[in-house]
Amino acid sequence: MTDVASLNSVASGNALELRGVTKMFGALAAISDVTFSVRPGERRAVLGSNGAGKTTLFNCITGDFFATAGSIRLFGEDVTTFPAHERIRRGLRRTYQISLLFGGLTVADNVYIACRGVSRGRFSLLRPRRSDPLLARVGELIEAVNLTEWRNTLVSELSYGQQRQLEIALALAGAPRFILFDEPAAGLSPTERRELIEILNGLPSHIGYIIIEHDMDVALRVSESVTMMHNGRVFKEGTPTEIENDPEVQELYLGDGSHSHG
Amino acid sequence: MSASDPLSQIFQSSARRAAPEPTWVERIPLAVWIVGFVLLIMPLIANNFWLFQVFGWTFILGMIALSLMFLAGYGGMVSLIQMSVAGMAGYAVAILGTSGMSDLSLGWPWWLHIPVAIIIAAIFGTIVGALAVRTEGIYTIMITLAIASAFFYFTRQNYEIFNGYSGFNLVVPPRLFGVDWRQPVPFYYLTLACAVLSYLAVIYVSRSPFGLALQGVRDGPRRMAALGYNVTAHRIAAYTFASVIAAVGGILLVWQNSQISPGTVGIPAVIDILVIAVVGGLRRPIGPFVGALIYVLLRTFSPDLLTGFGLSGERFKTLIGMGFLLIVFFSPDGVLGLWDRWRARQQRKRDPLRDRSTR
Amino acid sequence: MQEFFQKRPIWSGIIILVLAVFIWLVLAPWSPEMEAVLGRKRVFLNAVFGGVTLGALYFLVAAGFTLIFGLMRNVNLAHGSLYLLGGYLGFEVSERTGSWLLAFPVVFVLVGLVGIVLQNQVFRRMEGEELRQTMVTIGISVVLADLMLWSWGGQSYTIMTPDWLSGPAELPIVAGTNRDGDTVYLRYPAVRIAILIAAIVIGVLMWLILNKSRLGMLIRAGVDDRDMLAASGIRIQWVFLAVFAFGAGLAGIAGIVGGTFQSLSPGEDTRFLLASLVVVIVGGMGSIPGAAIGAVLIGLSEQLGLVYAPTYSVVVTFLIMVAVLAFRPQGLLGRTR
Repeated sequence: MTDVASLNSVASGNALELRGVTKMFGALAAISDVTFSVRPGERRAVLGSNGAGKTTLFNCITGDFFATAGSIRLFGEDVTTFPAHERIRRGLRRTYQISLLFGGLTVADNVYIACRGVSRGRFSLLRPRRSDPLLARVGELIEAVNLTEWRNTLVSELSYGQQRQLEIALALAGAPRFILFDEPAAGLSPTERRELIEILNGLPSHIGYIIIEHDMDVALRVSESVTMMHNGRVFKEGTPTEIENDPEVQELYLGDGSHSHG
Repeated sequence: MSASDPLSQIFQSSARRAAPEPTWVERIPLAVWIVGFVLLIMPLIANNFWLFQVFGWTFILGMIALSLMFLAGYGGMVSLIQMSVAGMAGYAVAILGTSGMSDLSLGWPWWLHIPVAIIIAAIFGTIVGALAVRTEGIYTIMITLAIASAFFYFTRQNYEIFNGYSGFNLVVPPRLFGVDWRQPVPFYYLTLACAVLSYLAVIYVSRSPFGLALQGVRDGPRRMAALGYNVTAHRIAAYTFASVIAAVGGILLVWQNSQISPGTVGIPAVIDILVIAVVGGLRRPIGPFVGALIYVLLRTFSPDLLTGFGLSGERFKTLIGMGFLLIVFFSPDGVLGLWDRWRARQQRKRDPLRDRSTR
Repeated sequence: MQEFFQKRPIWSGIIILVLAVFIWLVLAPWSPEMEAVLGRKRVFLNAVFGGVTLGALYFLVAAGFTLIFGLMRNVNLAHGSLYLLGGYLGFEVSERTGSWLLAFPVVFVLVGLVGIVLQNQVFRRMEGEELRQTMVTIGISVVLADLMLWSWGGQSYTIMTPDWLSGPAELPIVAGTNRDGDTVYLRYPAVRIAILIAAIVIGVLMWLILNKSRLGMLIRAGVDDRDMLAASGIRIQWVFLAVFAFGAGLAGIAGIVGGTFQSLSPGEDTRFLLASLVVVIVGGMGSIPGAAIGAVLIGLSEQLGLVYAPTYSVVVTFLIMVAVLAFRPQGLLGRTR
């Protein structure tokens, strides 16, 4: 039953399917004609130099802004015109490259807001009871990113690395099916990077993700497929080994020895 | 949210930690006990003028300004429509209940016309909110100001419903439990109870899922959308909630004046609410009440004060405007901000090892 | 313009149709049947001309407001006070010197100076803090309103129209036919026509300066990208001061105009502030042509509303604003931010 044709059909089993996605800023195309698809549970890295359009691509997928042209399907459903929160409620999550956390609230509050966002009672005027199962879930998530000790700390007082970890906790709230990680390792120490790789590799296997990462070591260790972007277009697709050994890619991106910049 | 954002700078929520919690009675600081006690026994201390005119008015204006504080402080939306919402509730009570204009008033019983008035005002506030949230920041102020003035001109032009220039007189609270609620002492307790209830409601809701999410929307609307929140819906719902508080204040205001006319919802009144909330401080729900007390005291006693200095007593507006300017210039977070900074300095003097004593 | 026609063929069609019907209504003689339905043509024409003139006045006030906002992101809610102040000062000047024309340069300079003080002492201190600017200017307008009430009292003033502008002028537009069957042309106060022409001249001049001169290029560059302007070595503060002074002076002049064909009294400051707000909300923040379109729309709707639906004239204005907000939150000619 799982022949190639049915995979490519409209209601394919793909977690994410992009067709000809283009985003114009005025006359400038930040991304143009991006087409690729990701299977459920697949982990893919998106590589490319600064300005290649990676974050713009994420913003189009999550609905932070709308694509100028093309279509986006999430788990078989056309979400091209959906506002961001509708896409999130369908199991999509993302982290941000620049920290967009709620600095005036505690770690627990931040995670609680994230959990509440994808559950019922978003508009509830009643404070949660101690027995609220959501609170237990909040604890689990904080534990998962090793922040239990800082549970009641204001987010603005956390270290940079801890804030990045909290970002991941927020993305894991609810029942995510597909996550977009925007440079989660940027600015982390080697130890924090190792922790990050553990967290990513420890995710349940049904959760797929796309990760934007400059650090090739991290990118290739947490992904099974790679999409190279250049000047807003898809430049190459393949397995990590294929991409690493591709002469064109090496010339463009790896060859200049800049692969370790953050 | 970036530090350069003016709204987030002004409205940075006060630092808060969910410490291991003692029982709720233990958590109430001594100062609150004292203030509460004084407020309760006030009728023994103060004369009728103070009870009815000063405190009654303070609580009423404080509630209307509190609804603005809720929107501005927790939602980052400075709405100038709150006085109009209050006025709408006041008009609704006059129209649906009884007034001196017996041709226009419908004379519904109190248990019907009061809730319906609040609902009408809430719907009005929600519709305005739905329009205002389509834009952000400074545009919210302009649009709500424009709608507020449209409402004012409409009430003045329309005679079929709002009775134009003259409005409604003889709008009094219903005689419940055999009490005349417009007598100073009952009115004092009525307004006090409403003010305390709305104050507690705001505090409670600020930590509810809705309130937390609203603060999230204030600090990072994009982020909230990426967490599954419908940002627009949350903002509009905040208008609804604030409208209910403003509506209660508006009904009390009509009862206090026993009349309502377009002047009640005029632009000066609309601006006054902003002045009260800003002077008191938009960060905490107690701010609007502090601001209201200052405003009412100035309003009541500045003519005497000014004549004392050999000026015309009519110049109280200049005085209030100047005071407002000074506050905005030197303490964007109002009198409460001044108080916080003063306390911080005192504590630092006492304890040289602590450098950031506000936390 | 062309882009708009290509992108929105249906909307351009509707707009052209409405404009054509409107122009036909103004120019063509009305048949008795039409007068039966729509009322006298003279009434309609008077409302239209009143609306356009009022729009011209609104434009004079709002142009300064929108220019200041567009360039500096300064929200000056004391703009209405500048209008009223200009009116009162103009009244004093024309009363004392007997010269209506002299009032214009004097008021322009005086109110422009007030604008310079505002920009230099208030807005420069809180650049980028829109909310504080709003509140401070609200405070200033409260104080100014009270001080003006102090010096000029609560009565209303009208600035005398000079002799050479008083009386009606005949326009080549058919108002109707008299009993003898002769065509009657529309007669309209000359001073209003002068105001209309002046507003158009000022508007066109502003547009020309903004679009064709070096200064205008600087200002427009500043609107688009302030950092670029600052980095180009131009003394941006001087440009700001000049624009603020000009916008304020324009509001002052508008005060004389308003005081001539309407009247000056306490409360007019808020009225014109609100008119400017509505005009720029409808037209689009920071756009001069937007302010012109918005001003004419609001002026027309107010006057036509007064004639055909007296109790609901405010509602018409308000509905226009709501419709714009609902379908184009950035205003008719505003740019998406």
